[in-house]
This record gives sequence, C-alpha cells and structure tokens, in this order.
Amino acid sequence: MDATIIGAWVATGLTLFIFSFLYKDNPLFKLAENLYVGVSVGYTIVKTYDTVIVHLIWKPIVENQEWTLLIPVTIGLLMLTRYVPKAAWLSRYAFAFIVGVGAGLAIPRTVSSFILKQIEDTVRPLLMLVPGDGVTFSWNLMNPASSVNVIIVLIGVSSVLFYFFFSVEHSGPGKMVARTGVLFLMIAFGAAFGYTVMARMSLLIGRLTDLIEYSDPSYGRPTLWLALGTIGTLIVLSRRSRSEPPEGG
Amino acid sequence: MSFAERMLKIDRRIIFVVIGLCTLLPLLYPVGLPIKISQEVRGVYDHIESLPERSVFLLSLDFDPASKPELYPQAVAILRHAFKKNLRVVAMTLWVSGTGMADELLTRVANESGKQRGSDYIFLGWSPGGTAVIINMGQDLYNAFPSDYGGKPTKGQPVLEGVSSLKDVTYAVSLGAGNPGVEAWYVFGKDKYKFELGGGCTGVIAPGLYPLLRSGQINGLIGGLRGAAEYESLIGQKGRAVAGMDAQSATHVAIIVLVGLCNIFYFTLRRQARQQGSQS
Repeated sequence: MDATIIGAWVATGLTLFIFSFLYKDNPLFKLAENLYVGVSVGYTIVKTYDTVIVHLIWKPIVENQEWTLLIPVTIGLLMLTRYVPKAAWLSRYAFAFIVGVGAGLAIPRTVSSFILKQIEDTVRPLLMLVPGDGVTFSWNLMNPASSVNVIIVLIGVSSVLFYFFFSVEHSGPGKMVARTGVLFLMIAFGAAFGYTVMARMSLLIGRLTDLIEYSDPSYGRPTLWLALGTIGTLIVLSRRSRSEPPEGG
Repeated sequence: MSFAERMLKIDRRIIFVVIGLCTLLPLLYPVGLPIKISQEVRGVYDHIESLPERSVFLLSLDFDPASKPELYPQAVAILRHAFKKNLRVVAMTLWVSGTGMADELLTRVANESGKQRGSDYIFLGWSPGGTAVIINMGQDLYNAFPSDYGGKPTKGQPVLEGVSSLKDVTYAVSLGAGNPGVEAWYVFGKDKYKFELGGGCTGVIAPGLYPLLRSGQINGLIGGLRGAAEYESLIGQKGRAVAGMDAQSATHVAIIVLVGLCNIFYFTLRRQARQQGSQS
C-alpha cells in the first residue's frame, strides 16, 4: 500500500479521535493525545541526537580532528553531574556559563529593540514638514504614521502606563486618565482575542480541508469509514458507561 | 424557565455543531468572497518584487506541524514568489520539530518551480541554540551550519556563492509560530547585522508583532491564514488559504451572532431579575 494512503488514514483517524473530545472525554481521544505527545518527543529526540551528537560533535571530532569542540562538550557534560549528588556542584559552572553568555547577549539587544526603538516610535514629531506644503498636520486615521495617530498612540501609552502606576490614588483627573488606559487595554485585548479566534478557526479549517480531501475514493474514503467507526465506538462506550453501576453504589 | 435562560444553558455541543457546519459548508460550496490586500502583507510582497535576480533570500520556517494550517500556505506562497523572481533561497528552521515538514515543503515547491537543490536553493535544516544560532550565522554561516539538511557540506555550494554570513543576506523572512521566531530574528539578526526583515506569523501572535511593524523594525507582516490568502492573491496562485477564506468569514459571522445573542439574553435576564426585585 502507498505510504500516502497510509498517511491519509492515520491523519484522518487521529483528527477524528481528537475531535471526538468535543462530544466528551473518551479512550479514542486519550489514544490520539498520548500518541501525539509520544511521537513529538520521539521525533525531537531523534533529530536532536542526529544533528547535535552525530553531525556537530562526533563527525567533526573523529573525522576532522576539531579538538576545540571538546571544550563546549565538556561544559555541556557538566550539566549531567546534577544527577550525581556529590559532584552536583560542578554543574554550577555550566549554568554560570550559560546564564552569563545568555544574559550578556540578550540584555543589550532586547533593550535596543524593545525599549529604545519603541520609545523612538512612540514620540514621533506631531507636525510633518512636507516639501512644497510646508508644515502639515495629517488627519488620516488609516495611515499609521499620520499626526492624529501619533497623538492616539501617545495618549494610549501614557494612560496605560498611568493605570499601572499604583503609588498614586486613581481619583479626580487621575481616575479619568486611568479609565482611558483601561479603554485602550480593552481594545488591545479585543484585538488579541479576535486574532486568537481567527487562528483557532484557521486550525479547524486546516483539518476539515484535509478531511474533505481524504474523503476521495483514491484514498479509500478514510474520512467516511473512520467517521462511522468513531461514532460507532462513541455510541458503544456511551451505552457501556450507562449500563455500568455507579462507583460506590 | 424562560427562553433566554434556556438559550444561555444550551448544550455547548450544539454550538460546536453550528461552528462546524459554518466551516464545512463554505469549504464544500465556496462563494468566493473578495479578499482585500492589506498594507502589511503588501510590504513583504513589494520588497520581494523589488529584489534583483539571484539576490539571497533567507526564509526561516520557525514553526512545527501544530501551526501548519496557518503558516504552511504562507510558506508555499512566499517560496513560489521567490522562485518566480529567480532568487537564491536559503531556507532553515529554528524549530527542531518542524525540520521534516520544512524539507518536504521546500522540496515540493522547488520541484514544482523547476529549481535545483544546491544551485537555486538550499535547506540548512536545524541547528541547536535557538537565538544563538542567529548570532552564530551573523558571524559565520558555515560555522552555524557546516552541512545542509542532507548532510552535504554547505561550503562550496553554488547557491551560497558570495555568502559568508547574515550580512550577505539581501532579505530575510521569518515565518514564526512563537519563540524563537520573528522577534528573535529582529533582535539578534536585523538589529545587529542590518539586513531587511519581513515576518509571517500565526493569528495568535500577530497583535504582539504590530509594534515592530509600525516602528519599521520589520517591513511587512503576514498574519495567519488571512495573510496567506492575501499573499496567494498577490502572486495570482490561489491555494488552500484563499479556499479557506469563505469558511473563515462564515465562522466569524457565526461567532459575532452568538456573542450578540448571548449578550441580548444576558441583559434580558438581568432586566427580568431587576423587575422581579422591584415588585417584591
């Protein structure tokens, strides 16, 4: 049998088993869930072993005599001393190296990218100098760089920051500013939720597109047969659970 | 029990069936709703369109099969565009669990476009280290990836002629489903090695990347299946993403209607409770 057809049957079956959870928790769902976790972990271990141990360590050292690689290998192996209580202190050198290098690399880059650049964009000039038109104020809401949008961004950032400033009581004019901040936060949460809904629906569309494709006779109609099988199994399981006496009864 | 109460306590499985039908029916019977191209998607398209032939285009496929429905169509559309423009495609992934899928995707689109591995494109595969790989590539690409996904030494491959590090990349696009992804490519790549960067992402993380787009830190953003559909429309090769747009619109309408109805029922019940409270 062609590997594509086997793949189609496996993919269809596992998709339907996962979808069966929408009815209720059942052994088919558990089977697919555990299989997913197992296959993902297994795949990651195999790929990591092949890339790291074989291609990046073993081959360069044995075939190309790149002995300097023994230094990172030794530091990496020190991590494993965590499992030997008497030698566990050695792992601190490895952790210190990783934390030190990681922080050294990440802190300046993160500050530059997420703080300085974003502040720069938040405090853009309100008025623009357009050749021929002189100093202009753009009211175009659809243009992110327009003057009116610069004001909206500035109000949004300032009010949200004020909302999270807890050292001052939010009363009087401060209450109005904090409420404006909440309004901006709600809009941001709404946009994020809208995108999340879109993403989840996209996943559903992806699976249903595959199920439609696999209902084709060239694959042996796995969607039809496995859907019938899954529904049948759910009915049997449901009847069996009803006929069983409740625990402790 | 009033109608509003019954509706608010409706079996959730009925809602699942409604959403399922709203998705399935447009997929079976497409309507072909128009797709408007957004500026953020056009940003990526226009930049690739402006590149001269044989420019070095780096595509980082930073996702795994869990995000396939959204990012796979984006990758297919971008690769088709890059191959059509005769760019040198250097593909890689920062996600170990996505290597097999990325290789299959690249090979499929390259074969379809009549491109040769090694001379027109290369798949570097995955290398450990996450964001450190980007820094390593910025210093020496051959040190980060001594061999490609097939085990062939990267040095000497015609596709990488004149490329020694990220500084020699003309344009890079990261299709990310999380971290490491677009943000990591900006922070440790573009900001340090000064190449132009575009992004593609799942719908969930798109709002978090808009600040990077608005400040010009990335020059375009393809968000979710919708972004993929826009890109497919731009290159004139409609695929799975465009086919899914009718279903996407239908489910969105269904969800808006459900949210609206729930609010109506909720406020109806609250008003009834207040009226009963004032009478007693």
